[in-house]
Amino acid sequence: MTGRRHRRDAAPTPGGEGRFEGYDVMAQSPFWDPVTAAVVRGRMAQERALAFFTSEEADICRALLDLVLANHGAPRVPVLEMVDQRLFEGQTDGWRYEDMPEDGEAWRRTLRFLDQDAREAFGSGFASCTGDQQARIVQGVQDSDAWHGLPGRHVWSLWTRYACAAFYAHPWTWNEIGFGGPAYPRGYKVLHPGWREPWEVAERGAADPLPWSHRVEKARRAHELRLGGRA
Amino acid sequence: MRRTDERAIRARNESAWLVPTGQERTNWALRGRMRRYDPGEEVDVAVVGCGAGGGTLTQRLARAGFRVVAFDAGPWWDPDRDWVSDEAGSHKLYWTEPRVISGKDPVALGSNNSGRGVGGSMVHFAGYVPRFHPSDFQTLTRDGVGADWPISYEDLKPYYEHIEEELPAAGEPWPWGDPHDYPHSAHPLGPNGEIFRRGARALGLRTAVGPVAIPNGRFGHRNHCIYRGFCLQGCKVNAKASPLITHVPDAVAHGAEIRPDSMVTQVVVERGRATGVRYVHAGREHFQRARVVAVAGYSIETPRLLLLSATPEFPDGLCNDFDQVGRYVMVQGAPQTAGRFSEEVRMYKAPPPEVSCEEFYETDPSKDYRRGFAIQTVSPLPITYSEHVTAQGHWGEVLREYMRDYVHWAVLGSLCEFLPRAENRVTLAEETDARGMPVANFSYSQGENDTKLEQAAQSVMEDILRAAGAEEVITIKRYAHLVGGCRMAADERSGVVDRNLRTFAVPNLYVTDGSVLPTQGSANPALTIMALAARCADHLKATARSGVVGEPASAR
Repeated sequence: MTGRRHRRDAAPTPGGEGRFEGYDVMAQSPFWDPVTAAVVRGRMAQERALAFFTSEEADICRALLDLVLANHGAPRVPVLEMVDQRLFEGQTDGWRYEDMPEDGEAWRRTLRFLDQDAREAFGSGFASCTGDQQARIVQGVQDSDAWHGLPGRHVWSLWTRYACAAFYAHPWTWNEIGFGGPAYPRGYKVLHPGWREPWEVAERGAADPLPWSHRVEKARRAHELRLGGRA
Repeated sequence: MRRTDERAIRARNESAWLVPTGQERTNWALRGRMRRYDPGEEVDVAVVGCGAGGGTLTQRLARAGFRVVAFDAGPWWDPDRDWVSDEAGSHKLYWTEPRVISGKDPVALGSNNSGRGVGGSMVHFAGYVPRFHPSDFQTLTRDGVGADWPISYEDLKPYYEHIEEELPAAGEPWPWGDPHDYPHSAHPLGPNGEIFRRGARALGLRTAVGPVAIPNGRFGHRNHCIYRGFCLQGCKVNAKASPLITHVPDAVAHGAEIRPDSMVTQVVVERGRATGVRYVHAGREHFQRARVVAVAGYSIETPRLLLLSATPEFPDGLCNDFDQVGRYVMVQGAPQTAGRFSEEVRMYKAPPPEVSCEEFYETDPSKDYRRGFAIQTVSPLPITYSEHVTAQGHWGEVLREYMRDYVHWAVLGSLCEFLPRAENRVTLAEETDARGMPVANFSYSQGENDTKLEQAAQSVMEDILRAAGAEEVITIKRYAHLVGGCRMAADERSGVVDRNLRTFAVPNLYVTDGSVLPTQGSANPALTIMALAARCADHLKATARSGVVGEPASAR
């Protein structure tokens, strides 16, 4: 964990992580056009009922998505619900690899395979494995050429595309990364590197008390520890 | 800055004066009084697709008195109600009907290169409108690779100039290719552009701001850019150009009908001549009779439509007697390199298209590859930038740490001229769409020259960012744009259309979109597609006058 905890009520970030203390992009929503504001607010409506995944698939999928996104602490972005909704609506990227089934079927199938792998390796379903066990299985998919008859890199592409498109659509992640969010009709007027709009928030420790290279190295080590100390 | 004559532009295309002033972005009154043709009535021209190619052709022909119906499978957008200043919410701008991708290097479609709705892919294009270089029209003769076009740069130049005025294009005087200047001066730079210039200056590389299809200054009723950075999500401001605001309004004012939400499923050919198009609107099939048909569905759907329109006379698909339809589809190698800066960059401010460098565009005899690449700013928003990070193999904590650092990164992109290959092609898949029609399968594999170019482009981008002060650089390999698939050629054994975009096989059938390009240069294709469509319109006008081709009787 590399970011200092925020006051969660004021400016939520996923797991309380982030470096833009008190920055709440939704505080800017009165300055957005009503159509955009409605779309973003609708995205924040919590606890949608699942429409695509079975409850068994949902457990596996939640574990996978939260792992890939390190979406662990509260408040937690409802990534599973967002992915479920998207698959239910059949909102694809507009293409599929020839050697993969269409997206919905590909999700169902790969979740089943994850569960199979978990039972074979650790004697329990993927969702009830420890985080480290899950991480090792998932890293195995990323590293594989062929995984249960599917190309590993195309499975990886499917998972990360859906996971990231949902996670980084959520305003809490914008708070975490300092992104300005929707900007119509207001636009921007301060366009120089190192300068900010009056409403943008300075990064905590902008002078890098912990330099970037250390921060990312720390994250790498944490990731490798999960994978059982592999280099 | 080029001197332009506003009266001359208005006399050619009044679109910018037909978008409304005030609180709305759509001229509802104009749409309300649009002329409507009966499907049973034979119109002069049916245009399939209302993007860069179809939109421009429709406007030019309508102004010349042709009776034109332009079809689009998607909606007739209203920027106020339909578009949002949000990445995920812009999904409906893309062509997301099922398609299959294959080959050694499958190319992602959808948001990457495929639009839907009136305005086409230009609704979500970045906004760069560079010209091709004169060398692009003769790569085979000059460099022994690619193909020669059946037209030259000089044939297209007057059309480039006209379209640049109508978009209009803003930028610094252009030193590369055929040196020229732009009707509007360059926009102020955003943070990403400043970083690019800083790095290039340190290396002694020339750069130029622009050329972007965003007016800088007064132009009709178009609003000024507000530098909000959402060019790729559809410009709610009416600042960035797309045919929706640059050509369709004038077309409608001159009697063209836009028929949105209408998917053309077949070009009907009887006794060697096109007689019209079959299309589906609101679940019902219709037939529109036309003297001339122009297909402008872009590099995937245009070949697909021709293949789907097979008849006993054309058993392998229309215009496909020599197995040319769907071949030589090209994408530009478009690696993007991100650099990490200790200062905050906040690249999401200002339009992603800002600064270009074409120093590496032409063949360098000292290199072991032919042709070249261009470098431009790109400023991905968070979702797109996350792909950049996951492409490094990062996930979990590492992905999050990189993303948490988003404001510190600047991103450059390059466009590498990947060469045309016959085996890179669109065919019909076994899979069918909701209407029961086979979907397109696009197979793509890079060649050796392509891979070398891509590597060279990446190292130049890394050098520029390091020279600007980046402490770390990361690169994602990706593709941009789509052209080819029904290429223009000297004869029917090597292409689908002739120098005037008329198909070799059916005398009153035209293809007027990016699929006619024989090579792609290292330039974003929108301007060239529009210029080709405008040139084709002049040809149709001339043939109508002489009564040779489609014989549009009502055209004067």
